[in-house]
Amino acid sequence: MLSLKNLSVNHGPLTALWDVSLDVRRGEKVGLLGANGAGKSTTMGAIVGLYPKASGTITYNGQVLERPSTAQTVAGGIAMVPEGRRLFAAMSVLENLEMGVYAVANRKDMAVSLARVYELFPILREKATQNAGELSGGQQQMVAIGRALMSRPRLLLLDEPFIGVAPKLIDEILSALHSIAVEGVTMILVEQNTHRALDFVDRAYVIENGHTVLEGSREQLLADPTFASKFLGL
Amino acid sequence: MEVLLQVLIGGILLGGLYALVAFGLSLIYGVVRILNFAHGTLLAVSGVLASLVFASWQLHPLLIAALLAPLMFACAYAYYHVLLRPLTRRSHFEATVGTVLVTVGTLMILSDLTAMAAGATQRNIPVRLEALEFGDIVVSTTQLLILLGIALLTAMMHVILKRTWFGRAVRAVTQEPVGAEICGVQSTRLKALTFAFGSATVAIAAVLYVLSFPVDPYMGFGLTVKAFTIIVVGGVGNLPGALLAGIFLGVAEGLTGLYWKPEWAPALSVILMLLILVAYPKGVGAKT
Amino acid sequence: MSKSLNAVTGWALGTFGVAALASLPFLGNAYLTTIGFTVLIAYILGQSWDWVAGEMGYVNLGHYCFYGIGAYAFAILLVGNWPLWVAIGFAVVVTALAALVISVPLFRLQGDYFAFATLALLPLMEVLAYNLTPITNGADGIVLPVAQVLQPAYLIALGVCVLTFMVTLRINASRFGYALKSIRNDEQVAETVGVHIAPIKRRVLVLSAAFGAVAGAVQAWQMSYIDPATVFGLNVALVPVAMVLFAGSGLRWGPVVGVLVLATLQQWLLVNVKGFQATLYGLIVLLIGRFMPGGFLRARWVKKVPLLRALAREHHEYMGETATAAQTSAASKELPLPRYAALGSTPLIQLENVRMQFGGNVAVKDVSLQIQSGEIVGLIGPNGSGKTTLFNCISRVYTPTEGRVLFAGQDLKGCSRDQIARLGVGRTYQIPRPFGDLTVQENIAIPLMFNEQPLSPRDAMREARVFIEYAELGHRLRERADGLSVQEKKALEFARALACKPRLLLVDEVASGLTPGEVQRFVDHIRHVRDRYGMTVIWVEHIFSALEKVVDRVIALEEGTLIADGPLADVVRNERVLSTYLGSAAPKAKAGEHTC
Repeated sequence: MLSLKNLSVNHGPLTALWDVSLDVRRGEKVGLLGANGAGKSTTMGAIVGLYPKASGTITYNGQVLERPSTAQTVAGGIAMVPEGRRLFAAMSVLENLEMGVYAVANRKDMAVSLARVYELFPILREKATQNAGELSGGQQQMVAIGRALMSRPRLLLLDEPFIGVAPKLIDEILSALHSIAVEGVTMILVEQNTHRALDFVDRAYVIENGHTVLEGSREQLLADPTFASKFLGL
Repeated sequence: MEVLLQVLIGGILLGGLYALVAFGLSLIYGVVRILNFAHGTLLAVSGVLASLVFASWQLHPLLIAALLAPLMFACAYAYYHVLLRPLTRRSHFEATVGTVLVTVGTLMILSDLTAMAAGATQRNIPVRLEALEFGDIVVSTTQLLILLGIALLTAMMHVILKRTWFGRAVRAVTQEPVGAEICGVQSTRLKALTFAFGSATVAIAAVLYVLSFPVDPYMGFGLTVKAFTIIVVGGVGNLPGALLAGIFLGVAEGLTGLYWKPEWAPALSVILMLLILVAYPKGVGAKT
Repeated sequence: MSKSLNAVTGWALGTFGVAALASLPFLGNAYLTTIGFTVLIAYILGQSWDWVAGEMGYVNLGHYCFYGIGAYAFAILLVGNWPLWVAIGFAVVVTALAALVISVPLFRLQGDYFAFATLALLPLMEVLAYNLTPITNGADGIVLPVAQVLQPAYLIALGVCVLTFMVTLRINASRFGYALKSIRNDEQVAETVGVHIAPIKRRVLVLSAAFGAVAGAVQAWQMSYIDPATVFGLNVALVPVAMVLFAGSGLRWGPVVGVLVLATLQQWLLVNVKGFQATLYGLIVLLIGRFMPGGFLRARWVKKVPLLRALAREHHEYMGETATAAQTSAASKELPLPRYAALGSTPLIQLENVRMQFGGNVAVKDVSLQIQSGEIVGLIGPNGSGKTTLFNCISRVYTPTEGRVLFAGQDLKGCSRDQIARLGVGRTYQIPRPFGDLTVQENIAIPLMFNEQPLSPRDAMREARVFIEYAELGHRLRERADGLSVQEKKALEFARALACKPRLLLVDEVASGLTPGEVQRFVDHIRHVRDRYGMTVIWVEHIFSALEKVVDRVIALEEGTLIADGPLADVVRNERVLSTYLGSAAPKAKAGEHTC
């Protein structure tokens, strides 16, 4: 479904990604692991169109993406839950969710998407008219995920969705993500906590200093001696 | 007593117009994150242009406004793309300095060219309509019309901000630019549109302004200072706040002229702004 | 060796240049002399502006107010038949006082708001000049009782120019200059490494105002007439600013080059183009803003032209040592840190019923704790539990709403941030905040310059190398800090905290996002500084495996309340901690495994 080949992305004068290659098949849950600054968020940003690529190719559903805008990627079925959530604090929860369909051509189906989001996260229906900035960290994360889901994405990118979320709510969110996966939504998850990530995904890539360096299923990675010493502190 | 009420009415009117100008600046600042130092000069130029058009062709003020607004919109849109957008790619210091220089340079050029074309003296559109009398207070129909105009424009802005997708995008980008971009809001286009929209608002306000108050090519910067004072008091993006602050300023200026000396009125807004900024360094409405 | 030869050449050239300029008035061409005079005045104004803008980062668009106040003060005294030097002195004093007074409200503002407020001062001053007729003679202006003073005015201006240049050199080689540069980058961090920023800001503004006033006074003398529009007009006010920005603000030669080029251009336009003057000035200002707000000396093509390359050197390229000197750096890894002895029974840091409230939100509720010197204590808790707020209460980024913070028995109430830094508290930030436009070496040197026992910039730069070697950043010595990778910035952050020579080191989530190998390095560093130098460490961290290796005990917070305090193994088994912090990982922890 999605394929990155030798992707390189610049952040101003700095090269953030040198050579990232990965493949994601439809319906898979793929993890992106690695140290901070290694390039995981930049990779996600490049997929969704936040950062223009310097070289390499991004292929989505068989089509090569050349400098897409975020509007085009959202309309094309890719949605992102960004690191730090990036909600509109002075707008209501409902308005935040509605912004999720901003780039979608047919906004009239909004009601259906909204119902689905409320089903996954019932607390949001209660808090619909409250300003998003007043919610707790975990609830805000739900709004962020809900906002991304409003555009009915086929590919969902989640960038560190559990930072600042109370553990009880992490469980709720994880189960919501599981049900979304069951519906066939493909997911890429960036997550600092390697245990939690590997519990959730089918496969994972390891990015180090802007390069993809390892790839494998949970078992493969855990069995790889270099992976273990680098990332699990064993 | 009647004089006081006359002054108050005039002050409210003037203040409402200030508020409209301020609101254009506030929208621009919230989305585009630059202070357009030439913002007030847009009113001066539009006002002079409007009065020239009226003097030459006797067009109805509504028609003049209907012509000026899209013209201003288009010019501002182009201006943003050519002169201001390229600066966003630079470092913070250079972007700040660059936009200051570009907008101040524009201010100087516009005032000078307008003065060359139309002379430096004051002008307005002298529309004579019957006056209405409430007891001893005389309210001209012109003033009522201006009041109506202000009310309509304000209501229209409110609706646009709350109900349209453009307005939602504007509010979203003001609060959280990255989040808005992730939702597919194309920030460059939105910034250009907002800049154009805010400037067009000023053009319409200029026509209303010039029906009752005089304009001259050099009043621009003083007006920008007043607009900024209003934003600082009312808060960025806060429409009702801007309205109240504007009226307060208009009335204060009127009272200064009545009880003290009118020459001091321009200093009032600067002093007021400085005082408020001392107490609230990021403006009254800002969150810490 | 070549450095002292350069210095001699520099002095020789400089003296020759000044002598050449000084001979201009005697060549008999009044027109040329007038142009020269205008250039000199523009330089004084532009360079004095740049101390506040280029060095410190505050764009004061109302700089011309100082010029105008100086001009009026001078004129009033001269009309009153006071001697020339008394009048100039008076102008300087009055303007300096005005600057001092206005600095109080003005420095509460930053960025755009500061630029706008300062620009708005100009029309205010103009209105005051028009209306305070008894003092300023209103719109009629003041005619000065002088004639034919071009030559002496020129020479005085030249003298002041040389002085201005010397002051610029002096500032950039001094601690004062580095304080300015640290403010330019990050004021809060500057305070936490020991820079007392409020007086620095006032001082530089007053200095800038004094020189602006002299420029105003001398030009008023030469023009023999002033009125409100001439001195406070918007048209003229931005011209010196544009000149400095044209070539490059914050560079040693920027203002000189900019003034020379643009003043010549301005003169040519005045002579050859009739009318449209304001439009042309506006156009020049606009084009500079649009195409080279950083100054043309900073453009890439300039590096290729040798003469321009020499003129385009940043101030920090004149500082620091040459490459060869750097290689003879300290081979020993011994950091120049004092060895702190234990404090006996007095805890190093003590919090008593500390409460921190922001509006309706209580971030920290009634926390009391004690940490003995030489301990390494971990601080854990979910996000929002108040850990970083507690740090900020100790380092005075926030002032506690209630309660006391005691450091070595001393109540920190009433202590400013920089005082606390000098008392011995150093910290890192979760997201590194280096002084971005300064080199790695300068970043470490600055805390060394503002310690309890401050070093001169030269000594500080030398001593900084030891810390840099310790942080393994030696190969980045003379690179700008904002060009480093995240890992390198974290290492720099840590080294800079050490350079504060702290007794108490506050480490804020330094391990987040690092690989376990990198985490282990930090753990070793932390253990090393405690074992060798007696430092006390409080470490806020999510990653238990890192804490486990080195902490003596752990304090757990939850929603602003302290819920556990003891050895890591015990805290991890504490019921409350388990249920709220570890969530679904709790069963695993109970079984004895630890979670990351």
